[in-house]
Amino acid sequence: MLTRSRLLVALAAVALLPMYLFPLWRISLIAPQYPEGIGMHIHLGTIAGIKEHDLENINQLNHYIGMRVIDPHAIPELAWMPWIVAGIVGGALLVAAAGRRGLLYGWFAVFVAAATAGLVDFWWWTYDYGHHLDYEHAIIKVPGMVYQPPIIGTRQILNFHASSWPSWGGVAAFVAMALAVTAVVWEWRRRPGRATRRSAAVTPITSAAVLLLFLAACGRAEARTLAYDGTESCDVCRMAVTDRRYGAELVTRTGKVLVFDSIECLAGYLSAAGDAARDGRAWVTDFTRPGTFVRADSAWLLRSPGRASPMGRGLLATASEASRDRLQRELGGDALTWRDVVAQAAADRHADAH
Amino acid sequence: MTHSPLSRRALLGLAGATIAGGLFFACRPQASRSANLGGDAAAKVYVAPGQHDEFYAFLSGGFSGQVTVYGLPSGRLLKTIPVFSQFPETGYGYNEETLPMLETSHGAIPWDDSHHIELSQTNGEIDGRWAFINANNTPRVARIDLAEFETKEILELPNAAGGHASPFGTPDTKYIVSATRFSVPIGANTDVAISSYKETFKGTLSFISANEPGKMDIAFQILMPGYNYDLGRTGRGPSDGWFFFTSYNAEQAYEKLELNASQYDKDYIAAVNWKRAESCVAEGKAKTVPSSYVHNFVDGPSRIARSERKTSVRMLDPRDCAGMVYYLPTPKSPHGVDVDPSGEYIAAGGKLASMVPVHSFTKLQKAIADQAFEKEIDGIPVLKYEAVLAGEVKNSGLGPLHTEFDGKGYGYTSHFISSEVVKWKIGTWEVVDRIPTYYSLGHLMIPGGGSAKPFGKYLVAMNKITKDRYLPTGPELAQSAQLIDISGDKMKLLLDFPTQGEPHYAGALPASLIKDKQVKYHKLAENTHPFVTKAEKDASIKRTGKRVDVNMIAIRSHFAPDNIEGVQLGDTVYFHVTNIEQDWDILHGFAVLGAQTSELILQPGETRTLKWVPRRVGVHPFYCTDFCSALHQEMSGYIRVSPAGSAVPLVANVSRKAQTQVERAGQLDPRKPTN
Repeated sequence: MLTRSRLLVALAAVALLPMYLFPLWRISLIAPQYPEGIGMHIHLGTIAGIKEHDLENINQLNHYIGMRVIDPHAIPELAWMPWIVAGIVGGALLVAAAGRRGLLYGWFAVFVAAATAGLVDFWWWTYDYGHHLDYEHAIIKVPGMVYQPPIIGTRQILNFHASSWPSWGGVAAFVAMALAVTAVVWEWRRRPGRATRRSAAVTPITSAAVLLLFLAACGRAEARTLAYDGTESCDVCRMAVTDRRYGAELVTRTGKVLVFDSIECLAGYLSAAGDAARDGRAWVTDFTRPGTFVRADSAWLLRSPGRASPMGRGLLATASEASRDRLQRELGGDALTWRDVVAQAAADRHADAH
Repeated sequence: MTHSPLSRRALLGLAGATIAGGLFFACRPQASRSANLGGDAAAKVYVAPGQHDEFYAFLSGGFSGQVTVYGLPSGRLLKTIPVFSQFPETGYGYNEETLPMLETSHGAIPWDDSHHIELSQTNGEIDGRWAFINANNTPRVARIDLAEFETKEILELPNAAGGHASPFGTPDTKYIVSATRFSVPIGANTDVAISSYKETFKGTLSFISANEPGKMDIAFQILMPGYNYDLGRTGRGPSDGWFFFTSYNAEQAYEKLELNASQYDKDYIAAVNWKRAESCVAEGKAKTVPSSYVHNFVDGPSRIARSERKTSVRMLDPRDCAGMVYYLPTPKSPHGVDVDPSGEYIAAGGKLASMVPVHSFTKLQKAIADQAFEKEIDGIPVLKYEAVLAGEVKNSGLGPLHTEFDGKGYGYTSHFISSEVVKWKIGTWEVVDRIPTYYSLGHLMIPGGGSAKPFGKYLVAMNKITKDRYLPTGPELAQSAQLIDISGDKMKLLLDFPTQGEPHYAGALPASLIKDKQVKYHKLAENTHPFVTKAEKDASIKRTGKRVDVNMIAIRSHFAPDNIEGVQLGDTVYFHVTNIEQDWDILHGFAVLGAQTSELILQPGETRTLKWVPRRVGVHPFYCTDFCSALHQEMSGYIRVSPAGSAVPLVANVSRKAQTQVERAGQLDPRKPTN
């Protein structure tokens, strides 16, 4: 093995150590009546509340829906995980010391298997708790409702907006994995019979970039899928949202979703609501993929006056510059950014007021 | 092999990853502080110094047992009106004149839990005569006079427990109606096992005739199945003559209600045709049930409360009076029932549901005519849900509780769990707007929102959870309320203000309705209190055995008499103090050292009595406790207590200085009566 690969593996061992000191995962809940939030930290060997009595209070709240008590002692994995990680740390140090490629691959396979098993197991526990409710003793029964928090990302569960993200310990584990992947790729490229042309620096940058992208998918404010069957109506103009090409949404910080039948209604709402709406995330429909939302502030917009958009302004959005330019060639009109659209809405409001 | 650039890049990648990890903690969603804040909110709620608010809002005190009065839109607390709890600040429930107000058939009770306000109506419109309020613990209903902002009458309700669904009035306040939250065994045998609930426990509806002040009386009671009757509302217009109550616990659970009373998919709204009840009573179908309860009322110009005991009540059984009560199935433990201004629609808040069902009165009548019954319970027909339903406001939110109307075709429903007010259109049942409240509101109130002609304009949300809305004050925080502007299409938050006690509900009316009728002082000439002293020269002291009566006046800035001697240990002294001022906002107080009761606060022209049993020999000072004048500090006196059997004669003075002061001011000719 290369010295640098051995170094990375040793660093991976060190990178795993924060898993013992910091929580791996953080599931936090915000509800209108919980402005301070309430939540759980999943540690390597236990589950605890974020604030001192959060776990007991979560269990107390869960009795309304018939969810089982979250008791760390009832989850056997929590007893084994510290040992499994210890084994992986030990294995890494062994690989770094011995410098044998075979050992590296073997250790890496165990690492990946353990990580995958860990995530799958985590998902299974959230599924189990969220689906297998005690209906006989549940006080609030919403037909068809399940209470599974996401393992990563956000979800609205009754009045709670649940956010689930890796915490420092989990981040450390991902870093360790990135280091391990880099070392393995370096070694794999060096195996006999294969010429290495690409710079060895590509791999750490790639894996870091992949990691960054993954982590930056902070989609806590995701758009909600609409039914387009007339049951939803625009929060500004009250018209039913039925055209899959034009719908828009504003997801507030608390996860509340405001629905609009068109980009112009969303823009109008934002310009009227001012600062109060600034914290939210605006979503517009990708005209070329009806029913699919893209973030308004990164969308590519077109104002094509001939288009019969719901409020007649002819505003369309797409996810890429190429699609927008293509539409512009087909339909005519002016290319805009989201800022232009909002500014125009503000100007229109000002004009209407006089 | 070149290590440096590669290691550097590797390190960069690592650093990038670590930073990204740190971004998680910035990704924490935060609760929005105040959504939908109206841009010019400050201007809309600012009532400039010297100006008055537009509305009086009467909020129930909840566990304080009182009523608080706020000005809207400023949210300023104007007054606390004591009703069911002693109020040492004014002596309510401590002085001899008001003690009888807190009498019950269980004895004197110094506290209760007051939930709901009902303002009196004429022809379905708020008229500004009285406010009524309930006591939940020992069921009673009180009448508050709105010219004096004082509790004038309290009627206890027999055969009742948990007076929660109370008080709700008919459109002309002919009746104030109350229903029971807790069913209990009623009648001859009340000592039964709790587990016999289904067989023996019953609820009652009480129809109190309320149009004559001082003469509240129970016209009749209706015996009902043992459900928990939660809230009520009168019909009006087409549904005038009917009354509606929600109930929950159709499961008839008596233990662990949290779970056991939440099992059924639907509970019932009881629709009561009280005109039919009246005719049944006239036909002699009501049974006279021996019951023990009291009626307390302030007796006219003496301003003394009297307590009279009552011994029986007329009770109707629905089995003896067909067509009087019907049950309407309503989803999921309904809380509020509210009738729209037109009287046609009956909206319910099913607190464990996620939509608002609305019944139609027209369909109700048709269902009765067609006998569209699902079954019968204790002689009460249960109508079919689809036969009476007008529509459902779907996906309104979580935990709908209570609805009020703005008179412009919209209903506003409070949602406790999703902590919001949801505005919907009557007839189309569409949600048109929603606004968060901070946090978890119970009831909301629109001025006139439960009448035939709502005044609209504002909505007050009364919340149950405060948390971070105001400066924290230890573990117990004042309940929060928000003032919301409903004058436009979209609701706008205007003001957030803390409240006293726990306002469950409220009623508001335009200030112009009652502001000019406010009494400024009581006319001394009309004071018929047996121990009134109308002029300084009439002040006196008298011994009758071990009882000493001091007839005293209070005026700026002295008492007369203010030196008293000859009282002995073993005596009971009654200080009857009359405030002989006839001027606006000139009150006096009275307190004596060591007295085991509160002070007196004396409104101009009234007489109040402080009963004192001296505990020790010595000279005890007394003084005015309500800052009345520049020489308020000088407004004091002494009373000398001698040992039992002492030879000290009973004397009192009218002090020379005071006499001279009065004569110099030329205010009073002691020989002439004051007015």
